[in-house]
Parts: sequence; C-alpha cells; structure tokens
Amino acid sequence: MRIQTSKLALVAALGLFSVSCGGKANSGTDARMSDYGTVEVTARLVEVPTGAIFHRELYNYATILKYQIVAVHRGKVPDNAIIYVGHYNPWKPRAEAADSRVKNIGGDSRQFRAGQLQRMALETPMDDFFMGGIVDKYFGRHTGPAYWAVRTNDAD
Amino acid sequence: MNRRLNLSLFLSAIYPLLAVCHGQSYAAESPDEAALQAEVHSKGWIVFSSRSDRGDYDLFICRPDGSARTNITRTPEFNEAWPRYSSDGTKLMYRRLHRDQTIDGNRYGEQGILVMAQSNGSQPKTFGDDGDYPWAGWNQDCSQLLCMSQKGFSIVDIASRKIVRTFPRQGFFQQTTWSPDGKWLVGVANSFGTSWSIARLNIASGAATAVNTIDCCTPDWFPDSANVIFSWRTAVEGINNGYGWTQLWRADAEGKSNRLVYAEEGRHIYGGHVSPDGKYVLFTGNVQEDGDPGSSGAPMGLMRLSDAPVIRGKNTELRARFPNAGTGTVLTLPLGWEPCWTFSETPGKP
Repeated sequence: MRIQTSKLALVAALGLFSVSCGGKANSGTDARMSDYGTVEVTARLVEVPTGAIFHRELYNYATILKYQIVAVHRGKVPDNAIIYVGHYNPWKPRAEAADSRVKNIGGDSRQFRAGQLQRMALETPMDDFFMGGIVDKYFGRHTGPAYWAVRTNDAD
Repeated sequence: MNRRLNLSLFLSAIYPLLAVCHGQSYAAESPDEAALQAEVHSKGWIVFSSRSDRGDYDLFICRPDGSARTNITRTPEFNEAWPRYSSDGTKLMYRRLHRDQTIDGNRYGEQGILVMAQSNGSQPKTFGDDGDYPWAGWNQDCSQLLCMSQKGFSIVDIASRKIVRTFPRQGFFQQTTWSPDGKWLVGVANSFGTSWSIARLNIASGAATAVNTIDCCTPDWFPDSANVIFSWRTAVEGINNGYGWTQLWRADAEGKSNRLVYAEEGRHIYGGHVSPDGKYVLFTGNVQEDGDPGSSGAPMGLMRLSDAPVIRGKNTELRARFPNAGTGTVLTLPLGWEPCWTFSETPGKP
C-alpha cells in the first residue's frame, strides 16, 4: 500500500513536471520590459565570437553581439534582419550588470550562448546611451548604428 | 671621450653634494642621474596628485628633479585629481572629489567638481557642480573649455559659461586633451574596431582618425601638436601571465609611425607628459593596471626623450624587439599620479 502511494505520488509529480515543461513557451517579456527602450524584439543570438566576452576586473566595457530578428514587438526593425547589439559588462548576469556608471539595464538572462533566443528592449544609437570601451568583433563588417541593450530576458 | 669621462668623474664626486644643495628627497644613484637632476632642477615645476599624510589625495608640486615637494591644496575633506597647468603656467585646473570617492583611472575627468586656481594652488574656485564640464581642458589662452560628455563634445566660453559649439563624440570616451595649437583633440576612442584606441579629431572638420589601436590610454600632446605620447599594452606570452606590461610610446599624430619610449618589467606605465620644450617625458605607473589611485600610487619617473627607447628589467622579448634599447637614465620622483609640467616659476611662489 505504501509502495503504491509512493508510485502514485511519483506519477503525479512527473505529470506536473511534464505540464510545466511542455506548457506555455517563455515569451521573455516581463512587467517592466515595455517601460524600457524604443525598440523591443525577440532575436536569436547568432554566435559569441572568440574574445568578445571576457572578465577583467578593472575594465568595464560593452561587447557587440550579432542577432537574427525573430519578432518585432515595438519600434521599426525589418523582419528577419540581422542587428548588432551592445551589452554592458557581458560576463555578468543581466540582473547584476548595472552599476554607478551604467544604470537602468537589467533582465533575467544569466549568460550569452550562441543560439539562445532573447527578448530585448533596445535603444539606438548606442553612442547616445553608452560612453565607454566597446569590443566589436564585427568592426568594418556592419553598417549603421548598433543597438544598446537596456533589458535582456531569455525566451523559448 | 676624455671630456665625457672627466665630467662623469666630476659628477660622481659631487652628486651627493648636488642632492643636498637641491634639498632632494630622492638621492641620485649614479653620476648620470645626478647629471639629469642638475639638468632639470631649475626647469619649472611639476604638479601631481598624491596621498597626503592624512590619507586623502592632495595636489603637490615639486621641482622636476623631485626636490621641494610641497602640498598646495591641504584639503582633508576632498581628494584632488588630474591637475593641469595653463599654457603660461599661471593657472591650474583640477577635479575635486569628495573624500569617500575613489579616483577612477578611467573616469577621473568626469568625477567631482571642476576647480580653477592660481598655479600655486591659491584662490581655488569651483566651476559648476559635481560632474559638470566632464573631461574639461583649457585652450591656449584659457578663454574656453573643451568638454566631452555622452552627448558629444562642447566648447564652453569660460567668461559667460555658454556653450559656443558642439560636435559629435564619434566614439571618443575618455582622457581627451586639446592640442596646444587648438586645432585638434586626442583621446581614447572605441570607434576603430578595437576598444581603447588612441585617436585624433580635427576640431574644425570633426574628422577623426586613429593614432594607435588596441589597449592604449592616457594620450597627451607633444608641444608641437604633431606628436602624441601614450600608454600601450601588448599581450606577450610568458610576460605577466601572458597579459604583458603597459609601456610608454610616442606616435606622430597622423598615426603613420610609432616608437617605444619606455618599458619596465613588473610595472604598467601610464600618464606620459612631455616637458614644455619637448625634451623630457614624465610618467607614472604601477603594478596594478589602473595606476592604483585607490591605494598609494607609485613613483613618477622622468627621462630624456633622446635616450628612448629605454627598457628596464629582464624583458627578453622586448629586448629582442628593440635591440638598440638602452637602460637609460631615469629619475625616480615622488609618488604621484597624472603629473603636469610647466617651465613657469609661479607655482613655487607664495
């Protein structure tokens, strides 16, 4: 009897887990996402170039990452466009990236992985929102202003 | 040859006396150093930021040989940083930070309040509020300031405090300096494919070009406005865990050629500042990469530019690259940060 009860509990737990995992996809939005930036997109991180993200204690910098647009929620960005986005101190989880120099950035993304889908609130041009070192492994290979990531959440 | 030997023997005999005569806290360690001390002693004054005996950063002056070190601010409630003389040496500009604010090696031009004073530190007057006039620097006649903020560059008329011109920042983000001839600015920029590039901007046209790229900082002008002194770190396998040490370099402002000035095994070199006659260079540095303003700083150094390139220490890779480099004559000056040099005598007068 005890064994049967345990089995039932296990089956129920697995069922709940299955509903949770197979349920509604994470859109990446949150209550504050729409408060930030003039552009809001869901985009896939194409790659993380070698040397684009490093941790060096004395250097605060932004790195430029390449994204393929999947959906445009606000603002004018061509569908399926490739965009280049600057992330401040990219080795830090987004929720911990803001500091006295760069305020009002955040999100729930903990790291940048090639192929990851992210929902982002963006500003442009980046120069109007960030004055500091920029690591741009795509220099000379893209035209137009880069976007500045204000809020970055993971999405499914 | 005999004459040189005789001079050397003579200096060898009298250099301790020279040191006493000049009231030096840093005795020469060789006849060559004594000769360089004697050569520069009367060439005006150096102003620099350094910790006082109360633990705050004050501004100090000393003779170029390191003698006559004098605190000219004595403000235990504040930290003072980034002092610069006017071109005639009669005025001084710096940033005043609250005591609890650590000087940031990348942001010092944006920190605190801009202060203008007489070059001996007297009559200090604040100009604006905290954070105003970021990276402000004088023009030749001290009538205008060139400032840089996130919004771009601005030229401010000091008398009216009105902005007379603005132009785009173009990726410049720190350590900007107006050229002596007023036609250019040099600074650290992120718009040339690599962060921490040294770039020059034509103030009339707004055109910007790279002077030297990859991990450069603290650029400053030679008096001719045609050459730039700056720091540059190149990663070298086996040196400082593959990270390398930051070295002092010079380049023509068009970015066509560069030359090593000074490198030292075991210390990053920053804050290069060329003497008003273009013959000597001051610098500072530290084991810590940011110049360590949060701690006690490091001794400044002074050398003849004609002795360059100079390499100190066992950096075999560097010696292989620069086989003609000597060990040079380098004066060790007091602990100091971001020094500035004037040939004027007014800083030392009451």
